Amino acid sequence: MKIRHILLILTAFLGAALLIAVAFQIRDELLGYQTAERMAASNTVRERLLLGTAALASERSQTYVLLIGQRNGASGIMELRDVRRQVDDLLNTAEREITATQASLSNTSSSLATVSRIRREIDALRQQADGLIGLAEGGRGEEFAPHWFQEATRLVEELQSSRMTILQRERPLDPALRTEANLRAFGAILSESIARNQALMSRALENPSEISGLEVDAISQNAGRAALAWELIDGQMVVPLSESVKGAVSGTHENYSSTFAPLQRSLIAALLGQVPPALGPGEWYDLTGRTLSNIALMQRELLRSTRERLDAELSRTRRSVALWSALLLLGAAAVLASIMVVRRRVVRPLESLSQAMLRLADNDLEIPLPRLARADEIGEMNDALRVFKANAIQRQRTQNEKQVLHARLRDAYSQLRKDLEAAAVIQRTMLPPSARIDGVEYHGLFRPSSLIAGDTYNVVRRTDGAIGFFQVDVAGHGAAAALVSVACHHALSQAILTRTQGTPLEEIVVQINEEWPEDLPYFTMILGEIDSRSRRASIIQAGHPSPLVIRSDGAVEMIGEGGFPVGMLPAASYERLEFDLGPGDRLFIYSDGLVEAEDQSGEQFSEVRLRTFVRDAAAEPSAILLDRLNEVLRNWRSTETLDDDLSVLMLERSAERMPANAVH
Amino acid sequence: MLSTDLRNNVLVVRVEEKRIDASRAPAFKDEMTRCIEAGQNQLVLDLSRVDFIDSSGLGALVSCLKRLGPRGSLAVAGATGAVSRLFTLTRMDRVFALHPDVDTAVEQLSA
Repeated sequence: MKIRHILLILTAFLGAALLIAVAFQIRDELLGYQTAERMAASNTVRERLLLGTAALASERSQTYVLLIGQRNGASGIMELRDVRRQVDDLLNTAEREITATQASLSNTSSSLATVSRIRREIDALRQQADGLIGLAEGGRGEEFAPHWFQEATRLVEELQSSRMTILQRERPLDPALRTEANLRAFGAILSESIARNQALMSRALENPSEISGLEVDAISQNAGRAALAWELIDGQMVVPLSESVKGAVSGTHENYSSTFAPLQRSLIAALLGQVPPALGPGEWYDLTGRTLSNIALMQRELLRSTRERLDAELSRTRRSVALWSALLLLGAAAVLASIMVVRRRVVRPLESLSQAMLRLADNDLEIPLPRLARADEIGEMNDALRVFKANAIQRQRTQNEKQVLHARLRDAYSQLRKDLEAAAVIQRTMLPPSARIDGVEYHGLFRPSSLIAGDTYNVVRRTDGAIGFFQVDVAGHGAAAALVSVACHHALSQAILTRTQGTPLEEIVVQINEEWPEDLPYFTMILGEIDSRSRRASIIQAGHPSPLVIRSDGAVEMIGEGGFPVGMLPAASYERLEFDLGPGDRLFIYSDGLVEAEDQSGEQFSEVRLRTFVRDAAAEPSAILLDRLNEVLRNWRSTETLDDDLSVLMLERSAERMPANAVH
Repeated sequence: MLSTDLRNNVLVVRVEEKRIDASRAPAFKDEMTRCIEAGQNQLVLDLSRVDFIDSSGLGALVSCLKRLGPRGSLAVAGATGAVSRLFTLTRMDRVFALHPDVDTAVEQLSA
């Protein structure tokens, strides 16, 4: 996997992780919002039910007192209609609310069924009561009153319990909300207890002497339940609640304890003690109604506080969902932006850089480099790559130039070599081939150290019958020595041919030596002459190695001890050596390249080895002797090449006289 | 390739190489020329370490002698074997004063 892919994947992965985390948070917030919504819906339903229950309790008392014949004027009937309308409205609203919140609340159908059933039963009870309210004097209303009270109480309890069922299903987690729900529940118990006594006490006060012990017990129980309800309410007050709620609760309690509770106590005591009570039934009914409306106010305050709390929670969760959604969008945008930036600033430049590097590595110098004006690492890499490329181009140019130069050198060298080869051919054609002139046979061995040599030799027949010969070795070797050797060759050949008879041979050498330009290299030579009509021969030895004479009987002699080279000292003098060269005798003239030829360890072939060889090979004909000598030298050197030019000239006076001009 | 030593106003130049051949002759000639141009005209050339001199080496030796001119003298010491034979063969023994060793040569020159 490439770095750029890793970068992209990492960025995408981190982005995805971030988005998933935010998405989970949004889900939580949404759940919170839904819960709050459900709480609010549940609360609305319960609120209607609570108010409906209180109204039903009020209707119960109202109907009850009408049935027993109290307050049965036109105003009492009006009040009853109002309270019935209130009950119907509230239960209607409750049904509507339950239907509306079906989506968010669970198990609403059973609640709905319960409420509907209760309403039907209320309607049935009302119809029964309505027929009797007008006939209270007949006593039938009074007979029905306990049944009404009992049935209405059952319905109130059922409404209460259906409210409690809904509360149990949607129990709030918030402590304040829970406390407020508890307070309302206890408030409802309080309110119910007082409402029951509103009806029961009214009847008891109507005719205190006929009241049974059971009825007084029921009234006492209700009073006890109210006191217990207050204890429960007080027990809830430790949780921090809003000031208005606290105020409403304590105000109501204050009012209850200061007026209602002592009065109720004294009335119960009067009933138990069979003494006439201090209060009439109408006064009691009104006082209880005021106390109940006080409690209702407290309940409404609690309901308002809960509604406010739930609304606040709803808007808080809504805001939270909106905030987290905005964060999600921002996060997604940031992730997208990071990926884009990574792609633009890292991935693409890296891609083009790595491609350029690969192409450069393949020696493709045409590849254009990315244009990046950046000061970061990628910019530095690009700059370095630019330098690499420039260097590579420079190197290639140098290489090309070198190749061109090399080609030119090769051409020049091959031209030079061709020239030298041509020169070598010319130099060889100047050397006399093996031949016999006027009874003198001659053979040559010529081995330049390079193509052309500073060595040369020639055999010339003079018109007077003498055979002139020379061998020259120009100091140094190579082209300069070769050119000088050609000049010598020509000068000496001409000098031999044009020398007037009787002029001593050494005169030629003296003259050449005197006239030799100082700038040219000097040379050593043997210049000689064989008289074809006598046994005599003569030589001038000018710094050249002493020639050998191989007698026809195999004896080997050395002629001469030395002499000045030519062209070194203008004033040098030269001597002529005369010696016998009889039929079958051979003259062996050689240049120093022969005896100075070195073997691999640097040892020279030497005069001693040469004389041994010549003595051993003295029986061989000259051509074969030279072939063998060449072979021996090759073995000695262990190579074809030579460090110095090497030449040998052998001249032999024939054993028998041969006709003049016979050449083989 | 040369080492020098001034003794009794005579510059003794010792050739440190075993050979004076075509490859070394130019350097030999240059170094000798510098010695001569430094003003020395009494020179002893110590060839005791030299085994072989070829034609180019001999040419360099003679050109040094020519450069020294008639005012100066170049004596040769310690020439043996092939070197000595070369001197004989080319008659250079008649041009250079040959001495068996440096001491004799210095003595002769400073006398």
